[in-house]
Amino acid sequence: MNKIQQFIVNLYPTTKFLIVLFLALSAFITPGYIWSYLVLPICMFLAYLAGCFKEFSNLAIKALLLIVLFIFLLQAFFYPGQEILWQWGIFSVKQEGIQFALSLTSKIVAVASSLLLFFRITKVKDLVSSLEKLGLSPKVTFIFLSTLQIIPEMQKSTHVIMDAQKTRGVETEGKLMTRVKAFVPILSPLVLGSIASTEERVLTLESRAFSAKGNKTSLYQVNKTKHDLKVRILLLILFILLIVWRVLS
Amino acid sequence: MSIISIKNLTYQYPTSEEDVLRDISVEFESGKFYAVIGANGAGKTSLCNAIRGFIPHFYNGELQGDVLIEGRDIREWELGELSTKIGYVFQNPFTQISGVKDTVFDEISFGLENLGVEESEIRSRVADIIQLLEIGHLQEKNPFELSGGQKQRVALASIIVMEPEILVIDEPTSQLDPQSTEAIFSIIELMQKKGKTIILVEHKIELIAEYADYIIVMKDGKAVLQGNADDVLSNEQAIELGCALPQYALFGIEMKENGMDLGTIPLTEKKAISAVQHLLEKRRVTS
Repeated sequence: MNKIQQFIVNLYPTTKFLIVLFLALSAFITPGYIWSYLVLPICMFLAYLAGCFKEFSNLAIKALLLIVLFIFLLQAFFYPGQEILWQWGIFSVKQEGIQFALSLTSKIVAVASSLLLFFRITKVKDLVSSLEKLGLSPKVTFIFLSTLQIIPEMQKSTHVIMDAQKTRGVETEGKLMTRVKAFVPILSPLVLGSIASTEERVLTLESRAFSAKGNKTSLYQVNKTKHDLKVRILLLILFILLIVWRVLS
Repeated sequence: MSIISIKNLTYQYPTSEEDVLRDISVEFESGKFYAVIGANGAGKTSLCNAIRGFIPHFYNGELQGDVLIEGRDIREWELGELSTKIGYVFQNPFTQISGVKDTVFDEISFGLENLGVEESEIRSRVADIIQLLEIGHLQEKNPFELSGGQKQRVALASIIVMEPEILVIDEPTSQLDPQSTEAIFSIIELMQKKGKTIILVEHKIELIAEYADYIIVMKDGKAVLQGNADDVLSNEQAIELGCALPQYALFGIEMKENGMDLGTIPLTEKKAISAVQHLLEKRRVTS
């Protein structure tokens, strides 16, 4: 891990959040759509510095492309306007629609890519730890963490159930209809099984003194460093400059 | 003085139609090893739940009679308080994971974190337990990725680290292979030597014969037979009540029926060998 990467990854979760918040807000403060679209490459650059360029880009492009394209088409064709650019039967692309679609999608791209970046460069463990420090109840953070851990577990048990149902002759592969039909015999044991195992999970938690009164300690700690303060001050200055520039221009 | 005393306990789950525990009276003394045996559905797990306070605190329903932990009524204890007094480990290794920790080390420390123990103390206590139970090779692994037997050892470690005086262990080995079973029992033996009171539900009667001081046989929600291990396991009546006897005891009973009285009913391999040697020597002298 090089120095810059370490610097970004080791920032305190709320500092990271302030960075992406600044990026998202700047998209709304600056007029036009060019800067808002630029937020995505900026986020990609930050992701590159943090050493997760590939994961971030894949996720961001996959998630955003479809939404942006869909909104663009809908708005271009159906936004009310006079200036017709292109027509085919009753459908027509209007200038106003394109304008609106540009400003709408650019904001979506900015907000979504900065949020995606946040979750790419912040470990959930760190986030939860900092939230707990802010005074969030351990019960809430438990739900947060356990959900994330249990999803892969449920995936595993889905495969087990699928195999079990296959051996009983339930067709799970093939045409769409066969797959839909296989849904019920797979989903119902999964859901019922998960509900049944919550009882034992409660017993486990109780056995580990989860409901004990008094303050809990935590082995895992995230700490603010002097870098956090620097980054926060820098962000504040940039934000003020941005607002001043917007008011004056 | 008994550490847990149960008097005329009768209980019914809110969803069940009849009583699952009927008029049970048992005294548990500190530092002894108790085994609870009986067929499936006899109420063994319910008895464990009543001792741990999950009945009535978690399952609700009405509890008749008394369950006293250190002389104090179970209804007055809070579940959180009991967790440092009574450790509870149960059958299914897969649900005995907190689900919020990435490594076995953190998983074992979860209970102590909840109790608010100082960080440095947590680290040393968890390290001690890991060494004691010989699971050092697992400590950096993700608890979800362990095998059933490893998970069960981690579950035991997570409870033992909280240093409860009483351990309630409900069929810990019923889903495990022979090697893992052996590993679990060596941990239980370790706890026995440390002077913990152990209440174990188990079907493997040979292992019970080896460790238990006192045996409670349950049937249809009743404690139909109880007494010192030697007495219960050599009692032919126990077979009629649906509990299996160790093969050495069966051997002894069979020998007696065939006119070759061993003098005692042996319970373990060692005792059986010495009893047979004794018999053979006696025969040699008389012939």
